[in-house]
Order: sequence, then C-alpha cells, then structure tokens
Amino acid sequence: MKRYLDVYKQGMYSALQSAAAYRMNFIVSSLITLAGNILFPLVTLLIYRAGTSFPGWSLYEVLLIQSVFTMSNGLSSLIFGGVLWTTMSHVREGSFEVILLKPLNPLFFIVATTFSIDSAGLFLGGVSLFIFSAMHVGAIPVLYWLQFAGMFIAGTAVLAGLTLMMAAISFKWVGNSRISELADSVLHIGKYPLPIFPKAVQAAATMIIPVGMVGFLPASALLGRMHASDYAAILPCFLFLAAGIWIYRHMIRLYEGVGG
Amino acid sequence: MNSFKQKWLICRTVADVTYKEWSAYRTHSMVSIIVGPVYFMVQYFIWTAVYGDHPSLGGIELPQMIRYFGATALIGYLTMDFADWNLSMLVRTGKFLTFHLRPIHHRSFALFQKIGHRSLGFLFEFLPCLLIFIFIFGVDMRPASLPWTILSVLLAFLMNFYVNYTIGLTSFWLVQSGGLRSAFMLVSGIFSGALIPLDFFPHWLQMSQFFLPFQYLAYLPAMVFTGHYSLGGFELSIGQAVGIQAIAVLVTFGFNELVRRLAMKQFTAVGA
Repeated sequence: MKRYLDVYKQGMYSALQSAAAYRMNFIVSSLITLAGNILFPLVTLLIYRAGTSFPGWSLYEVLLIQSVFTMSNGLSSLIFGGVLWTTMSHVREGSFEVILLKPLNPLFFIVATTFSIDSAGLFLGGVSLFIFSAMHVGAIPVLYWLQFAGMFIAGTAVLAGLTLMMAAISFKWVGNSRISELADSVLHIGKYPLPIFPKAVQAAATMIIPVGMVGFLPASALLGRMHASDYAAILPCFLFLAAGIWIYRHMIRLYEGVGG
Repeated sequence: MNSFKQKWLICRTVADVTYKEWSAYRTHSMVSIIVGPVYFMVQYFIWTAVYGDHPSLGGIELPQMIRYFGATALIGYLTMDFADWNLSMLVRTGKFLTFHLRPIHHRSFALFQKIGHRSLGFLFEFLPCLLIFIFIFGVDMRPASLPWTILSVLLAFLMNFYVNYTIGLTSFWLVQSGGLRSAFMLVSGIFSGALIPLDFFPHWLQMSQFFLPFQYLAYLPAMVFTGHYSLGGFELSIGQAVGIQAIAVLVTFGFNELVRRLAMKQFTAVGA
C-alpha cells in the first residue's frame, strides 16, 4: 500500500513540476477554465433574468446544482482526467505494452502518472460558485452537510466510472478523439433539476447511468429535498465505478500491441 | 475563364481527396448521431419546463425555440471548422513551408479541404441528425425560406472559416495559439447563440453583437431558418439580415487578408 502511495505522490509531484516548467501555459489554461466556469451558469442566469424559472427551483438552488456538478467534475478531472487521453494515445501508437511491462497495476500506473493539475481551475471555480450559491439558500443543518458529502463522493465515483468506460472504448474505437463527447452529452442531464425530465430519463439518470448524482442529488441533500428513495441511487454509483474498472481491465486483456 | 476552370478543378480535387481521407474515420463523425440528439433532448426538456405557462419568452414561442435549437445543431455540422488548429500545427512544426512553395494559396487549400470535410459531415452528421429530429422528436425542420437559409448557412460556413483562419495566423507570432483558440471557442459558444438565443441577453450585449463575428456563425442563420430575425430591438427582414451577414463576411475576409500579409512578413523557415 505504501508503495502505491509513494508512486502516486511522485506522480503528483511530477505533474506539479511539469506545470511549473510551462507555467505560462498553465496559468492561461487555468484562467480560461476559470472563465468557463463563470460563464457556464450564464444560461441559467439569463433564463431567470427573463422572468421565468425551472418550476419549483429558485435561481440560487439551480446554481447550487451546477456548482456541485462543476466541483465534482473538477475533482474527477484532477484524479482521472488524463486516463482517457493517455490510454487513447498509447493504443493509437501501439505503445501500451510499455505500461503493461511496469511492475504495477496498469490502471493505477496510468491514474498516478496523469494527475491533471490543469483541472485545479475547474475545481476551484466550482468551489467559488458553490460558496456563493450556498450563502443564498439559507442555513444548512449539519446532517444535510453529511448527506451531501456522501452523495458528492458517489457522484465523483460516477464520473470516474464514466471516464474509465470511455477510456475502455478507446481500446477498440482507436484514435477517436470524440469519445469524450459521448460522456459529456450524457452528463449534460446532471446539470439541471432532474424533475424537469420525464420519469424514464429520471430513472435512467439515477439507476442506470447515475449522472443525477453528479450535481442534482448532492445539491438536493443540501437543500433538504431528498426523498427516502433517493438513497437507493448511491449503490448504483459505486457499481458504475466498479463496472468502469472491470471493463477497462477487460479491454487491457483484449489489447493487441505491435511491440511498443 | 481558364483560371476559374483551373481553380474549380483544384477545389474539386482537394475536396475529393479530403473527403476520401476523412472517410476512413467516418465513424468519428458518426459520434454526432448520438451526441447531437442527446444535447437536443436536454434542450427540449429544459425549454419545455422553462416556458411553463409563458406563451413566449424573449419574443420567441416554444415551437420556434425548439426549431431554433434543432437548426443551430444542424448548422453546426455544416459549418464546423478547425482551420485554426491545422494552421497552428503547420506553423509550429515548420510544415507550412511545404505549402508556401506550392502554386496554390494555403488559405484556398484549407478552404477546399473544409468543403471536402464538411461534405462528409453532411452525409454522416447532418442527414442522420435531421432525420432523428424530424421522425423521432417530431420537430418541423422545414426552413421558412430554403434559398435564404442555404445562402445564410454558406455565409456562416465562410465566416467560421475566415475567423478560425485568422486565429490560426496568430501562430506566426505566438507559435502555439491553443490558448487563444480555447478562449475564442469559449466566448463564441455563448455569443454565437448556440447555448441560448441572443434575445435573452441584455440590450447592450445584443447591440454589440452586430459588430462582433459570433452571431453570424449560428444565431443569424438559425433565425433565418425560422423566418424571423430580431436583435437589440431591430426587426430585420430575412433579406436584410442575410445582407448584413454578407457584409460581415466581407469585412472579416478583409481583416483576414490584412493579418495574413503581416503574418507572411513574420514567417521564417529552415527547410522542413
């Protein structure tokens, strides 16, 4: 275990060193990501400014959903963000053997060596928006914070599972840089209050591909809008992550290299 | 006449080769068949919920709004462009020299490539998504005026190309124009009207869009498709709107030419 921690620590350190070497690129990327975060809830702001709303949801409640989504996305990108592109690149170039030869679990090695410090801007942007919107939704009891923490971790697990599944697809759909768009399109559902969607979409977004857990359900927990049945959505999140790991490892076994 | 014929032949050949080259990766384009309808579905439910009992928002009724989002998605498939990325890569790697030595202007070459690439997009992105919007979502995707819509989409095609090519030209100074590209994509995503119609923006922001390139990429052609154009309190006929778009394309082309001439003075190569 200690060995794994040491490798991960070294991976983080290398990522920081690399960002320091190209610091201008890092600063510009982070600033653009931060600006993107500020502009992301613009659609919501404009909708409310036009005098209308998502039925039953105030502006700050919707912003809370979107900030939780951004934070979860930022955290997941920090840890798993590089897995898809690194896997895709190795498979395309036929150099995945180089990773298979390392005396470590290949999936862990890729995760540890692709710590995406660039995503710090995304996470921090989400945190800023979260603080801003949480300050406008009234007092939040400690119990709700605890529920939120559990849901937030489950949501991040969904994102990690989704990333691993997309990376697994890249073993067969070689070199398709648009694979990530598949995940992004589905995740779009998680940025808005789930009740605006039909029951079938709500069920799919909580039980099958639980993207509702990425933004909507953790924010609902903070707002005290959880129903007892919503807790049932936690288990599918971790099953989804487990499925992502299983599929990724299965695809490694199917990998056919050309000598690296 | 001979010169025109020769240019047409080059255009057809470059477009044809690009089409064949990208045909090998046609399944990449087909990602849009899943992604496009999913985004559209989300927009459909967002706006259905938001409209609620409101008959109209920002002067737009719900069916028009749904048609608008269908149109922006489809127009995006026809006008999509990455000339900036391509040019930036050629400058960074020094391969631009090989184009500089050819008896064809690189900008023309890149435009012909785009025609070939988007012909593929027409077959594998536009048509399948159009059929999905019509037969699965039941959206009326008949343009208010087919000739004006085609003309407006063609102008949006050129506008997108010239704007992106200008961004690519900045690589002659910056070498790596990725940051500028990301920043433009970010701003363009919002102010082109692809996320929300510009009618929802504050009045001063709507007015400023007449002098910026963004609305000519998606909002204006989509509104031409729906048959009703208004922005910043100005109601224009479809012909007037397309006329303004044509002027904007000409101005952008002029600006692009100016930047290109400056960039060529900047260019140095060492035999790629």
